[in-house]
Amino acid sequence: MATDLRISNISKIYPGCIANDNVSLQFKSGKIYALLGENGAGKSTLVKILSGVISPDNGEVFLNEKNLKLSSPLDAKKNKIGMVFQHFNLFETLSVFENLSIDATEDNKSLRVRINEILKKYNFSINLDVPVLNLSAGQKQKVEIIRCLLRSPKVLIMDEPTSVLTEQETEELFISLKKFCDEGILIIYITHKLKEVLSLCDEVAVMRKGKVVSVSQTQNEKVETLASKMVGQKLAKIKKKINTSKNKDEIFKVKHLNFYSDDPFETNLVNLNFSLKKGECLGIAGISGNGQNELFQILSGEIITPNTSIIFRNKEIAKLNPKQRREYLMAFSPEDRISQAAVPELKIYENVALNNFKSSNFFEKGLVNERKIKEHSKKILSDFSVNTDNVELKSQFLSGGNLQKLILGRELITAPELLICYNPTWGLDVGAINYIHETLIKINDEEKSTILISTDTEELLKLSDRIAVIYKGKLSKIMPSVEVTPEKLGILMGGGSID
Amino acid sequence: MSLDISFIGVLIGSIMASSVPLILAASGELITERSGVLNLGVEGMMIIGAIAGFALMVITDNLFIAIIGSMLSGVIISLIFGFLTQSLLTNHVATGLALTIFGIGLSAMIGKNFVGIPGKDFPILFSSLRESIPFFGPILFGHSIVLYFAFALPFLTNYFLKKTKLGLVVRAVGDSPVSASNQGINVILVRYCCILYGGGMCGLAGAYLSLIYTPQWIENMTAGRGWIALALVVFATWSPIKVLIGAIIFGGISILQLHMQAVGFRIPVQFLIALPYLMTIIVLVVISRDSRKIKLNTPTSLGRIFYKEK
Repeated sequence: MATDLRISNISKIYPGCIANDNVSLQFKSGKIYALLGENGAGKSTLVKILSGVISPDNGEVFLNEKNLKLSSPLDAKKNKIGMVFQHFNLFETLSVFENLSIDATEDNKSLRVRINEILKKYNFSINLDVPVLNLSAGQKQKVEIIRCLLRSPKVLIMDEPTSVLTEQETEELFISLKKFCDEGILIIYITHKLKEVLSLCDEVAVMRKGKVVSVSQTQNEKVETLASKMVGQKLAKIKKKINTSKNKDEIFKVKHLNFYSDDPFETNLVNLNFSLKKGECLGIAGISGNGQNELFQILSGEIITPNTSIIFRNKEIAKLNPKQRREYLMAFSPEDRISQAAVPELKIYENVALNNFKSSNFFEKGLVNERKIKEHSKKILSDFSVNTDNVELKSQFLSGGNLQKLILGRELITAPELLICYNPTWGLDVGAINYIHETLIKINDEEKSTILISTDTEELLKLSDRIAVIYKGKLSKIMPSVEVTPEKLGILMGGGSID
Repeated sequence: MSLDISFIGVLIGSIMASSVPLILAASGELITERSGVLNLGVEGMMIIGAIAGFALMVITDNLFIAIIGSMLSGVIISLIFGFLTQSLLTNHVATGLALTIFGIGLSAMIGKNFVGIPGKDFPILFSSLRESIPFFGPILFGHSIVLYFAFALPFLTNYFLKKTKLGLVVRAVGDSPVSASNQGINVILVRYCCILYGGGMCGLAGAYLSLIYTPQWIENMTAGRGWIALALVVFATWSPIKVLIGAIIFGGISILQLHMQAVGFRIPVQFLIALPYLMTIIVLVVISRDSRKIKLNTPTSLGRIFYKEK
């Protein structure tokens, strides 16, 4: 039976922000629809409304001309609307089967039979009796999908599903989604990745600042046209000049980096060795959870490992803490901006002061030199085009992109010789990503080095001079980025081997 | 020789009796914490249960009403905690501490009129078997019904959490309330139920003290057992069976050190008194070393405030 989903004049207003402004859209089964937009464009709000997590201030949702009252997630389930959230809604400490059985109405035996049927039909391989925390991101997503399929949905909504997947996993997902579509499930695919829209979807609706700005057939669109619709202006293309000269000085060298942990949430690192030249960018690719966190913490000095040698500017720094390493002109930009790089409750200038140097004179005789810090902060805000000039603003009110600019600015204004960053553009929109990428390239042009740990292969290929892949705590051989393709990276990231 | 063996039997029987309040309170708190709620008011709920049970016994002269009433009093006082933390979203730790202080004060005020009144004999089961079977008699028989219930409780709790649908829901809520809510589970309701259940068990634990173990009312008679129960839950890494083991060790060494003091061992008394705390912690730390299991049993959202997006 054909499904017809219609959203009519939906509005949702939060204090200080209109998340959805009179949104009307229509979807029909047999097609895959893309909902495209930058962060904060209102996609997630719309999806939360469709799945009953929040209710709109205005507007209605019709499924096959029936007016739906979606006041709780249960209502969405009852009306056969399935939803796979960007942040998985799984219970990490429960087993896969327990996760699936929690909202089932049938007994465990027949449920298991039905799950196995789905696993077989779509070629998923997942052990049902291990805790979810042992699964890879791709497998977790499959568990979410199975949970939806068990309820034989009419509508399946995928919210940014590929942000945690490898190239291969993404391909598998697309194959499954096309299968679902052929079986008559209406699929709404939310993303800010333009290429995915073009390769997967039939129709695309672009949202900007809470409004739908365009609805069109994807066959009439190109990456550039979609990008300018999404951002509202044309984006400059950036390209890096690959750094291939071999006779430059080595600035950073890691030998015998080993890390062992009892914690099942942590990954052990096995004998990592690499070095870095002046002005070079070393990319470290990998699916999140393969040891990047631990590697970053060891490189920044948060974790000190025995028997590891880290040479930086001809000095052994393996035993130094982060503050001491900063004194040697290293700088760090961790993955989690909110909890690791900045304190959201503090004001902008206070966050700037957190990263204090002997040379910065932020503190005198134990007292805070507020005037100096504020001056310094103002300079960061203007140099790195952060979208405010109010240093008294609490950091939590900055958007992800602006916060990342602030953090990079804080780290770079001291002119470090080496910047180590981990997923610097994670969750940012196209405009902010462009700016961060330009900044990182500029660092290399100034003969400073960077280590870029990232889960985004496109970013790595764009910015790195050499690339290695980390998989289950082991580092692949380091390859010049000109020889690397996304496919090669994907194979290595999934644990395969090339050559 | 036969005298020694029967003495050991009696000793084990008394150790079991002394561990009952800990088992009851800790099993109740375990369920509360598994749903992600940290209620530090165990001591307060126990002492309220103790005075409520004793007062009702004196007034009605009916032990059944006294036991049920003590559980209800625990439920009611935990309802205050539930309302504050779940509906008004107050901080779990601060609210729990306030509950304990409130409970101790309130019980002392109510209890003023009940000091010095003698308790009543609580009926014991199978008293004839206790005398006729050497060694095993005093261990297995001649206890109150509450003791048998307490020793079954950890196993029932384990079964509930591992095998039943409701237990799964409780664990899911404790793991990730946001996910549970998005799956259509009423997180607030589940947490309310777990808080009230924990309160009921703490009330019963208090009544065991004032009606059965030492049948009388003394101000502050729980004497820190609520805090021990809380610590047991954490050191037993939220596993009901390990709670049972910890409670028995604590009760056992408490009793043994009394005998050691009586016999006159040349060990400082202060050390003997500290011994139960020390041993319980050591044993539980040793048997709970598997960090993987700890991760799987620990309620990830413990103590965090949950509120629903609107």
